Amino acid sequence: MALPLPPGLTPPEIAFICEMELVTIIPRQRLEGLELLGGPLKPLNPPQRASIPLWLALLLKRQRRANIVPPPWLSPDSLSAILKYETEIDAFSPPPRLPPLPSGTSLVFSPPFLPGSTADATADALPYHWLELGSMLLEAAPEDFDDANEVRKLLRGLREARMAKLRQGVEVLDAGGGVKMNGVGGMEVGEARTFITGVVDGLRKIGKSREEARKERDRENGYSPSQDFDDDEMDMR
Amino acid sequence: MSSYYDVDAILTDAQKVPCTFELTVPGLGFLEGNMSGPMKSGSKVELPLWLGEMLALSQNMGTNTSLVSLDHPTALSHRVLNALKADARTVDLRSLAPHFYNLGARILELFEEEEMIEILSDAFKSRAAVIADQAHNPRGALGEGADFMRGLDENERQLFRASHDSAKAVRTWMTDLKK
Repeated sequence: MALPLPPGLTPPEIAFICEMELVTIIPRQRLEGLELLGGPLKPLNPPQRASIPLWLALLLKRQRRANIVPPPWLSPDSLSAILKYETEIDAFSPPPRLPPLPSGTSLVFSPPFLPGSTADATADALPYHWLELGSMLLEAAPEDFDDANEVRKLLRGLREARMAKLRQGVEVLDAGGGVKMNGVGGMEVGEARTFITGVVDGLRKIGKSREEARKERDRENGYSPSQDFDDDEMDMR
Repeated sequence: MSSYYDVDAILTDAQKVPCTFELTVPGLGFLEGNMSGPMKSGSKVELPLWLGEMLALSQNMGTNTSLVSLDHPTALSHRVLNALKADARTVDLRSLAPHFYNLGARILELFEEEEMIEILSDAFKSRAAVIADQAHNPRGALGEGADFMRGLDENERQLFRASHDSAKAVRTWMTDLKK
């Protein structure tokens, strides 16, 4: 046996990845620029806001050298609006809109690499790392929130509502089908992964004979193996 | 797909299926409790799936009849399938067969039954949703749903364990944050 870990990432690993998200802080002390692997960090000048990685922000917060500015979606107003959306509509609330493509570069940024948690993030959508980031900020810097208890309560409500939705999603699955998971966050994927893959595996096992029969039929009808392969690819979507 | 040493596959193959002997076989009477006599043609015996399958697929020399004909096991009889169709959540699969879905998959390899695939898939899905709920909100061994949990087959138990473990991992992470 190799590592006794399930496939996918464990919650501490997901939280570790989340720590590279940029957050906005108000420094209380000067700090010279740092050369980090993710790029140079500008010097911190006390009254000016700065965007730094979450791990550094947590460190400075613990040393009382900075205050964290919670992202706008982590306010009671926008959280309750999103919670209302989640409870009334069957789909997950949409992820933040992608920014316009930067011209001239071939790099296209997708959700985990967007500044979704700085002070100028959108207020009406949950970014990829919403649950991890929200819990960590609430734990490390509750006094930087206007109403930490309310935010905590809303986050818990959101989590419950969305996990229930994710679990109900398997009822529409079939052996070759998919469930729409747009807007589902990193921690939620990590939590639901084993369950959803387990259900798909079980359904495939039950439907195996039908799949074999279909492949047999296709072969008799003169499909070439390459087309057969394409067919499998289609099923994965 | 499944390994040679897969215990679940071995146990699935050991489940009994009803077989009817089409030919009289001398010396096999002990299967019926008839110690020294022959196995008469037409007699019904419960044989393990692996043996029944071998006998049913092997063709007798010269003739076109096989030695035995397989029948559906009681766990997959019409009565059970109708119960699954009516409400899958109330059926105690474990008492029918500990490896219910694996047995179903093996039987479906031997018989072509479109309807049974549908019924088993739907049953698995609707039960999976309840399993996920149970895994996330454990109500204790004596709470409601304890009967349902007792009726899970092996596959479903693994599913429950997997989703319970991942939910627990997230909860542990959240409480570890507070330290």
